[in-house]
Parts: sequence; C-alpha cells; structure tokens
Amino acid sequence: MIYADNAATTKISDLAFENMLPFLREQYGNASSQYSLGSKSRQAIIRSRQQVAVAIGADPSEIIFTSGGSEANSWVLRSFLEAYFNEAPHIITSSIEHHSVLNTCHALEQCGVEVTYLPVDNNGCVSVKDVRSAIKPTTKLVSIMFANNEIGTIQPIKEIGKLLNERGILFHTDAVQAVGHIPIDVHDLQIDFLTASSHKFNGAKGTGLLYKRSGLKLTPLVFGGEQEQGLRAGTENVAGIVALGCALEESVADIAEVRERLTNLVHITIKRLKEVIPKISVNGEGAVRLPGIVNVTFPCASGEAMMHLLDMKGICVSTSSACNSGKDMPSHVLLALGLTEQEATSSIRISYGRYNTLDEAEKIVAAVSSAYSKIVANH
Amino acid sequence: MYLYSVCDQTKMDKRCETLDKKSCYVCGKENLNKNEIGLTKKLLDKNSKYFYCLDCLAEYLEVDTEFLLVKVEEFKEQGCILF
Repeated sequence: MIYADNAATTKISDLAFENMLPFLREQYGNASSQYSLGSKSRQAIIRSRQQVAVAIGADPSEIIFTSGGSEANSWVLRSFLEAYFNEAPHIITSSIEHHSVLNTCHALEQCGVEVTYLPVDNNGCVSVKDVRSAIKPTTKLVSIMFANNEIGTIQPIKEIGKLLNERGILFHTDAVQAVGHIPIDVHDLQIDFLTASSHKFNGAKGTGLLYKRSGLKLTPLVFGGEQEQGLRAGTENVAGIVALGCALEESVADIAEVRERLTNLVHITIKRLKEVIPKISVNGEGAVRLPGIVNVTFPCASGEAMMHLLDMKGICVSTSSACNSGKDMPSHVLLALGLTEQEATSSIRISYGRYNTLDEAEKIVAAVSSAYSKIVANH
Repeated sequence: MYLYSVCDQTKMDKRCETLDKKSCYVCGKENLNKNEIGLTKKLLDKNSKYFYCLDCLAEYLEVDTEFLLVKVEEFKEQGCILF
C-alpha cells in the first residue's frame, strides 16, 4: 500500500507509539490520584505540555489538551458567544475554513453573532487588506486557518496577527495542518488562540491541543474537576497526550529536513503529472504552500473515479469532494478558488508525509496516468 | 382529473425501462444489472458513454470480480444510491 493522504491523518510514529503504550497498560493511573501511579501519569502530562510549549514557542501554562482540532476550534468560537452574550459580537473568518469553524460560525449566526466570511484569491490566499476592511467596532475575534487542508496554501498569519494586535482584536488560527510541519512561534506571530491535532503530525487520534495566550479568558468547555485549568474537566487521555508531545517533539526536531524532502516529492509529482497529463491544473500553485500537498484538477475526469481506481492499485489519496448518495458534492474550498462545480469534482489531493519516498511518488504518477486513460476512454 | 390513464403510465414506465437498459461495451451482454451500471458510473464516470458487465469491467480495471463485488457492498454501506 502507498499512503498519500497524510492531510487526512498520519501513521503514528514508532516512538510515539512506544511511549504511549505503558500508559495503556502498566502505568494506567489517574493523573489526579495522589499515589505514585497517579503521579507518574501526572508527570507524563507535564512533560508533554512542556514538549508542546517548546514546539510552538509558548509557555506550558498556555497549553490545554483537547480531544482534537474540531473540539478546540468549536470551543474558542463558541466561547465568544458566551463572553459577549448581550453585545452581538462580530467575528471574521474565511470562506475556506475547516467545517469545524464554518459550521460553528453558522450556529453562532443563529444566536445573533455577526460573521463575515472573507473571500480568497485563486490561490486560496486571504488578503490582509480584506481583513482590515472587514473590521468593525464590534469585531471581537478573527479566525483564519494557518494553512488550508485541501490545497495547502499558507495564510499571511504574521501580517494578520500584527494588524489585529494593533487593533486589540483577538486572533485565533486553526493550525491543524501546520503544526509539526512548518515552524510556528505563537508569540512572534501574535496569535492569541491556536488549535492543533495530534494525528496530523504522527501522534495518536483523539488528542489535540489549544494554545491560549496567558491572561485570556475562555469559558469552560466541560464542568467538573480541575483538569486542564478547570476548563475541560474529565480524566485526561494520558496515553494520547504522551503520544502528542512525543510526536510533536519528533516532528519539530527534523522539520527542515522533512520539509525539504516533501517539497521535492511535490515538485517531482507535479512535473511528472504535467508530462503525462499536460492539461492538469495545480490548485494553489502560485501560493506559498505546506510541504507535501498537491491538489490537481483533471480535464474531464471524475476525482471520485480517480480515487477509487488508485485505491484498487493500493494507493490512498483523497478527493476534494464528498460523495453523498452517489452525487458529488464539490469542495467549498475549490469553489472559493473560482473553480466550476465540474472542475471541483474533477480534483484529487495527494498529500505526502514523512514516510513517503520518491519511488512511491513515481508509482503514484504512473497509476494516475493509467487511471486517467481508463476514465477518459469512456467519454 | 388525471392527465393520462393508468395504462398510459404503464406504457411510459416500460419506455423508461427500455431506455435505461444498458449492454456491455466489450462482450455485448444485454440488460446489465443495477450493480454493473452503478460500478461503471462510480469507477469510470457518472457520464460514461460505455458500460461494462462485471467480468469485462474487472478485466478492464485489472482486478478480479470478487473485488468489485466487495466494492459494491462497501458503496451500498456508504449509502450510495447508484447501487
């Protein structure tokens, strides 16, 4: 099997797996317990919090563990409704956010929150000028993703952070695709809230994190015990948290080397694909992108069919569309870039990770070429 | 008031059924079943001009028929109405 869908999830690293295992077996103590077994779990969580803090330039007290990126995104946004319940706050976001942000915003609109959805250019970039223009006296929060999950475009986070800091508006970024893949320093970027998910950087599924700048308030997500500063009660997922810290530390340690290797894989993939299918277009090609993501649109070939034919050859890639009941639902991201519905449903995303090789990239190109020929032969 | 009789409706249904009948592009097998038509649409294109019976599609895609039958069940489980 060739796994090239690392933007969806990644294989857990051996180191993260080995480190989390004891906490599922012999070290099963509750981190809140006062005896030694509990203390070991507590110490493991403290260590993981430190690993995360070092990785993103934060203080350990600013890190809150969650169940994943969606929970953290939803939590930050919903918190503003509770904090400004009587003020009808205004939130700015982009049209290409993950559904955990977009759907939360839709729900907030039903409760009286005003939301502005910024457009993007044809490379999927949000304009800082648009952010500035959208700011109102009631604007309390701007939520712009660090990097897009479908096309990999990296947003001008530093410029947006600077602008919002000057205006005294809080800045949240969904960095689920970026953390562990590109260097991030939350203080340098003037980010107030940042969310990430462990399984996107070779950790385990079911664990994520929220960075909350020191001094900022957030309404509790779960009431109960004092876990996670009393903001998210409940016995901690110690094994998952250990894997998160370990995987992130491991990813950050060789971030430059992996980035260079993945950039090369993407470069070769695009070059070879253009040789065999000259009419393909690469979405977001003109933007600064995450290493490893290639989103291509084929002339007149269903992305879903392409994905299934590659699956039959043991290759895992993703369509940019969701097939519901036999009807292709075009990706909101690709539509926001200006693609037609036909083009948006004729696209696939190849996303390489740290374990992919040049040989695998070559096999993917060959398989895409073969699948494309079979599909278009039937038109 | 009905615009057409039950008899007319039956004729129309029959006509639609005939129009929807597909045969295999390779071996000519007639009256491809819903799964064969669904597989062609799902794996090649929903607007595919040509349709394949299970055996010919398996040969075209270089997989075995059992594999395609497993895929049919997977697609059904996912709620795909092509099957």
